[in-house]
Amino acid sequence: MAKFLVDNREIEADEGTILLQACLDHGIYIPNLCFVKGMDHPSASCRMCFVEVEGERQPVPSCTVKVKDGIVVKTDTPQVRQLQRTAFQLLMSVHDVDCANCPSNKKCELQRIAKFLKAPLKPRALEIYLKEPRIDESHPFLDYYPNRCVLCGRCVYTCGQRNAQSFLAFSKRGFNTVISFYGAADLSTLDCPNCHACVDVCPVGALVLKEPAKRTVPASSDLGLTPKPLEV
Amino acid sequence: MEQGLLTPEDEESLRQIASKIESYEKDRKNLIPILQMMQETAGYLPKEAIKMAAGYLGVAECEVYGVATFYNQFRFHPPGKHHIKVCMGTACAVKGGGIILENFERKLNIHAGETTPDREFSLERVACVGCCALAPVAVFGETNRGHLDQETVHGHMTPSAVEGLLDGIAIEKQMKERVLKRMEMEKQIEERVGNVDESDG
Amino acid sequence: MNRMGNKDPDQVFDVIYKEAERRNNEFLADPAPKIHLGMATCCVASGALETKKGFEEAFAEYHVEARIHTVGCMGHCYAGPFVIIDHPASGFPPIMYNQVDAGKARMLVKSFLVDGDPQLEYVYGAMQENDMLPSVMEFSRFNKEKRVILEKCGVIDPEDIYDYIAHGGYSSLVKALKLQPEAVIQEIQKSGLRGRGGAGFPTGRKWEFARQAPGQEKVVICNADEGDPGAYMDRLILESNPHQVIEGLAIAAHAVGARKAVIYVRAEYPLAVKTVTKAIHQATRLGLLGRHILGTGFDLEIDVFRGSGAFVCGEETALIQSIEGYRGMPQHRPPYPAIKGLFGYPTVINNVKTLASVTPIIDHGADWYRQIGTENTPGTAIFSVVGNVVHAGLVEIPMGVTLRSLIFDICGGIPNNKKFKAVQIGGPSGGCLSEEFLDTPIDFDSLTATGAMMGSGGMVVMDENSCMVEVSRYFLDFTQKESCGKCTFCRVGTHHLLKILERITKGEGRDGDIELLETLARDIKAGSLCGLGKTAPNPVLTSIRYFRKEYEAHIYEKRCPALMCRSMIGYYIDLEKCARGCDACVAVCPVDAIFTTRNRKKGIDQQLCVKCGECMAACPPQYDAVRRVSPPSLVPYVEKPPQEEKEKADGEISGG
Repeated sequence: MAKFLVDNREIEADEGTILLQACLDHGIYIPNLCFVKGMDHPSASCRMCFVEVEGERQPVPSCTVKVKDGIVVKTDTPQVRQLQRTAFQLLMSVHDVDCANCPSNKKCELQRIAKFLKAPLKPRALEIYLKEPRIDESHPFLDYYPNRCVLCGRCVYTCGQRNAQSFLAFSKRGFNTVISFYGAADLSTLDCPNCHACVDVCPVGALVLKEPAKRTVPASSDLGLTPKPLEV
Repeated sequence: MEQGLLTPEDEESLRQIASKIESYEKDRKNLIPILQMMQETAGYLPKEAIKMAAGYLGVAECEVYGVATFYNQFRFHPPGKHHIKVCMGTACAVKGGGIILENFERKLNIHAGETTPDREFSLERVACVGCCALAPVAVFGETNRGHLDQETVHGHMTPSAVEGLLDGIAIEKQMKERVLKRMEMEKQIEERVGNVDESDG
Repeated sequence: MNRMGNKDPDQVFDVIYKEAERRNNEFLADPAPKIHLGMATCCVASGALETKKGFEEAFAEYHVEARIHTVGCMGHCYAGPFVIIDHPASGFPPIMYNQVDAGKARMLVKSFLVDGDPQLEYVYGAMQENDMLPSVMEFSRFNKEKRVILEKCGVIDPEDIYDYIAHGGYSSLVKALKLQPEAVIQEIQKSGLRGRGGAGFPTGRKWEFARQAPGQEKVVICNADEGDPGAYMDRLILESNPHQVIEGLAIAAHAVGARKAVIYVRAEYPLAVKTVTKAIHQATRLGLLGRHILGTGFDLEIDVFRGSGAFVCGEETALIQSIEGYRGMPQHRPPYPAIKGLFGYPTVINNVKTLASVTPIIDHGADWYRQIGTENTPGTAIFSVVGNVVHAGLVEIPMGVTLRSLIFDICGGIPNNKKFKAVQIGGPSGGCLSEEFLDTPIDFDSLTATGAMMGSGGMVVMDENSCMVEVSRYFLDFTQKESCGKCTFCRVGTHHLLKILERITKGEGRDGDIELLETLARDIKAGSLCGLGKTAPNPVLTSIRYFRKEYEAHIYEKRCPALMCRSMIGYYIDLEKCARGCDACVAVCPVDAIFTTRNRKKGIDQQLCVKCGECMAACPPQYDAVRRVSPPSLVPYVEKPPQEEKEKADGEISGG
């Protein structure tokens, strides 16, 4: 057990626990999007969970810090907030803000972060850039909304954990990066309608299950086949 | 997703790919070398090739596609007969590479990264080709059945040189066609004369 | 462990060296003239293949017995193809000729090789001091350089391992193999060698970490994924002297305890891939690589991996991802590759130049190396100096030389009597420095202090007609395209930076844009995951810091002071100077924007003009009638005659 300070509060956690996890477990909220509990090497890609750790020159993502006895952590400093606000603004500048029509309205992580940071959902200083097409409907069971997606990669990670390999992947590069279903049309034997782990883990509403009527092929369970056994 | 559209050349390339792939160990680390081999054989990455790589290495197709789309090297459309690369390295950009690219785009009526509808020309903007002292530079490649045969570097490009180079290619093509036509005509005449001779005999 | 029993590497190597020496003596003793011809990518691009053919045809025509010795690149790209003719029987020392095309080659064979006249007016310089001809050593382009890494480039045949060995090659490996790995690391640490990939991390420390990391299997990787769009020294080294890098790699592997090594070369460098692959085969055949190297217990297998073109793969963790067959996305460090790298093994990744420096350090010793360069950054730096500079090409200088000396003495200054404006150092991660920084000594720390950085060694010299906003836009366009897309700041942030710069260069800049750029840039630097994002804003930040007025002119006056941004300039023809009946500009205009005025002079249709500047270049110097101004509202109105009148005017011309 390691004892350490977060915002002047003493916390105990196993040495080596991921700091973000330890904080969340103790009810200390740090904005985060790409972290999934149980990851041993978080991707640290959303750049929201910054904290200041004594001895470090700059704020660091708390998902990359391992808990050690005696570390001193601050989650609410001007520098931390500045980075979080900018990261949030950047994400919102490529986001199609249409909460009323989004299935994840009221449970959306972006809404939560906006409230927490007291930041507007529409960035004031930045132009908005949206991707085309607005929906990728090529998957037999899922629809993907690139302008809701924050590219956290939780879906890719989770699908990989469930199925030994992921049937969702990042494709293209840089600003054009999207989640791709490439080749998924041939994967009608997958049991997506019953699994929908990727939909559940999405912090926003970027992945949505197709309504049965709109499915391009019947799901294996629709046909009365036994669903693929899932790990975990 | 579009299907088919495979030319006989593509099918031949896929056959070659299928036999070449066997020499690679079935290991994820060979994914990029395999994709490189496929592109060198076919000139681009046909859908069928991506599927083949995924099946051979036992990874999901989307994963292969994800890797292939990450790297600049991989193309998903066949290149034109004349593949033009315009250098956008620092030296070329400072010396007006952008204007050169724009002139190619205007003359060919396509954007960088596209192929003309007649598959004669394709245009690509590339980072430094390493001929900075000759800036701005364009590289003309002749492709034959998809793979690159020969590349020529043209240095100190100007908009008028763009026009000259493209006109040169067009003229050469016309001349070739004319020669072919003449040969055809001569052949026809010969045949006809031969026929006449036969009927006479 | 070693079944063969250790042999003395000296004895084993001696046999190889004797053979190399024999071949070299035979080459030197051959009385036939020798033509040393550079055949690296850049020389080939400027026509070296035709030159070679020209020589061969001329030999046949004039029945000359001569040998062509193909060498790599000498870095004098401004004057390629370069040729050195060594014709001992003529009594002249070896002579260098520049820009030798097939015709010149023929002429040289006839007059020099046949008639013994070296054609003084074409001589660039003699390669040795002598009484007859000026020597190249009198030029600062030659005598201020200090060649440690490039020493043998352009001298030896890169495809012949014996040529390298005869010039002292692989003796450092022999030396290293006789030392304990720890002693090799100590020597490198003592030399003060810092990684030449850009960041300047001490090489010896990196090796030590990997050596001490737990695990039997270790890997060393040579990073030749040169992605800076204006730098090509890594390619040049691999094409011109691959063995020096391979030898350095082998020494590193011995020091670290690795039996596997990878050379990661960009696929866009086909000649480098070919040369280095061939070199590995040759070295393996001679027992300098492979199992029981030089009879010792040291094994090393080197693979060549062709990188598929992603700038971000120059970053260590992304490079590893790419070799493992994944998208080249950087990973959070720690763990550092030296602890957990390729396939989980402790991995050392060194740049080509770093490894090429290891070889001479082991050869001459750490103390020798420390005498070159500065206290904190010993050794040399290689820059590819391009842009508005007389002698563009590759230059190797001792650290500590000032920017002024490099640009004005060694590279000949700015051409066309224009004024120096700025120098961009370090490629897309570097910064733009103004004139006041010209006396900055070149070393890692001094450059970082200015806000620029050593980076990959790309250096772009810019004259008064280069716009700093446009240059920043160019680099951001590059980094934005090359961002891997993993982390928010780099993926979205650089896109915004680019879009803001684009609108400024288009004359659509807004009040507050400069401040927005500054805030965004600072946060991107602080918040990004990897080095690409952390350094991508440097060109913007430095150019705002040193050239703020230029940004302001763009935004508030809609004017480009350097007359470069095309939406903010206009071309017109000075009717006072335009010559009647001259059609030079009409012929070159790619969009037919130039019309004939009523009095048979020329005017530019501003609606059609694409502002390419061709007319300006084509206008004969005695008229010099084309003007470029910013903002375009300064263009005077010239009436365009209606169509039928134009035809009439044309008719008059052809009639008169």
